[in-house]
Amino acid sequence: MGKYVCSVCGYTYDEAKGIPESGIAPATAWEDLPEDWVCPLCGADKTQFQHQSTPIASAPKDPVVLVEPSSDLRELSPLEISILCSNLARGCEKQYQPEEAALFSELAGYFKAVAASAANPDFDKLLALIDQDLSEGYPGANAVSAEAKDRGALRALVWSEKVTRVLKSLITRYQKLGDAMLENTGVYVCTICGFIYIGNAAPEICPVCKVPNWKFEKVEGR
Amino acid sequence: MSKKYAVRNLRLCTKDCLCLYVCPTGATDTENSVIDAAKCNGCGDCADACPSGAISMVPEVYPPQQPKTEAVLRAMNELLRSKSRQEQIAAELPGKLAKAIEKSNRIMAEDLIREAGYMLPQSENTRDFLQSLLLQRQQMEGFPKEAVEKLIKAFNQNNKEDKNMNENKTIDNLMEAFAGESQANRKYLAYSKKAEKEGKINAAKLFKAASDAETLHALKHFEVAGKISSTADNLKDAVAGETHEFQDMYPDFVKQAEAEGNKAAVMSFTFAMKAEEVHARLYQEALDNLNETEEVFYYLCPVCGNIEKFIPEKCSICGVSGDKFIKY
Ligand SMILES: [Zn+2]
Ligand SMILES: [Zn+2]
Repeated sequence: MGKYVCSVCGYTYDEAKGIPESGIAPATAWEDLPEDWVCPLCGADKTQFQHQSTPIASAPKDPVVLVEPSSDLRELSPLEISILCSNLARGCEKQYQPEEAALFSELAGYFKAVAASAANPDFDKLLALIDQDLSEGYPGANAVSAEAKDRGALRALVWSEKVTRVLKSLITRYQKLGDAMLENTGVYVCTICGFIYIGNAAPEICPVCKVPNWKFEKVEGR
Repeated sequence: MSKKYAVRNLRLCTKDCLCLYVCPTGATDTENSVIDAAKCNGCGDCADACPSGAISMVPEVYPPQQPKTEAVLRAMNELLRSKSRQEQIAAELPGKLAKAIEKSNRIMAEDLIREAGYMLPQSENTRDFLQSLLLQRQQMEGFPKEAVEKLIKAFNQNNKEDKNMNENKTIDNLMEAFAGESQANRKYLAYSKKAEKEGKINAAKLFKAASDAETLHALKHFEVAGKISSTADNLKDAVAGETHEFQDMYPDFVKQAEAEGNKAAVMSFTFAMKAEEVHARLYQEALDNLNETEEVFYYLCPVCGNIEKFIPEKCSICGVSGDKFIKY
């Protein structure tokens, strides 16, 4: 009997113990858990778990391709300007500058409204971008940030890489199950790291960034 | 350490309000519960006393964000671009999950750009960004130009205030150092004379050399603080300084010393007071005759510090014999 550890939140599934309160009897082998079983803490699917004896590798050890630095940082798109402004609005809020925060929020709203719309949006396009982030974006960014000893960047990368993997497993499940997956259950977003939780109530603390549940926002339908 | 002031997190405040009780300036006592930054003296008593941990001390000036390497900026930017595309796609998909994904990507992207050099709204990066918005985007329809201009103004003001504050602080420090070095100079001179009397020649020499060194420091601090003007202005300043001493400062000191029965101090203060009055008069004369070319000689009484323009029979202040006077 072994143990399996969630690479997103650290939850451990113990085959010997099972999870009796969720109807999984003791001595249920990992292989015998249903394919759509997800981490009870963070909702990550089975592929995000590692057997405890194997070290948890955060990313496959493909050779990392470093992007050559170039001097001309490209111009920001309107949506990126909106993101920058809403980030600065948060910065002002943290420093208790409500007037400046409101001005940045106004700018963020304007640039979000004028941003171009996506061509033929669908979930497959999202998955393609997520896969690219996980296979190239994060390994490359982690490598250069580690080299630069940039702790702030490394911290942001750890959080968003975990959240990105959660998004991947959520979308994959959603494509199989459709809206049935969301019936009679709530959808919560951590406003600090972006972690998404599907369940009846937000987790006590965010499994990714560890903030308390009042930092979660319940998402209502469009 | 940078100056701090208190802020209250209204979401945590349980209105137990020990802060009202401990605040020495009444800054926490406001109708809307927002602590009055103008009254707050940064003592931190309220933050220590608050039972709900709702008050924290925040710095007036934040240290700059760690500089970012170009490689990190590029990598973070690539991810930012991907997250913004995902936000854009999710924004147009139906359903609660898509809406959550849209939000999630916004939050991740904000965090990434924060760590790509945009942590602080008052940073230079932010100012450059706002300026470039004005330059490049203001032709766009409905562009909220006023908001951008207000923000630029708000942060410029902050920065100017910070800068002024820091400059003033350094001037204060220079003057404090000037005072300290000046005192050290006179102290070591006194020690040197004492050592000389005791026949401790080497100690006397060291004290004299150190005393001269402190003079060098003091003069430099004073100069860097920008306190040296034209000779006419310096004479005016000297008149004012000596006048203050003989009219206000020493009379009070003398009274206090008399009340305490400290006769030596009474004499030391009285000599100085009378001499400063003479100095004020002489400075004023020198100012009036600043452009006279005929040479004037001054004679200093080595006991009380009186200065005359001739050799008196004896000092009019302390009575010492005129042949002791030193010619300048
Ligand atoms: Zn988990
Ligand atoms: Zn979180």
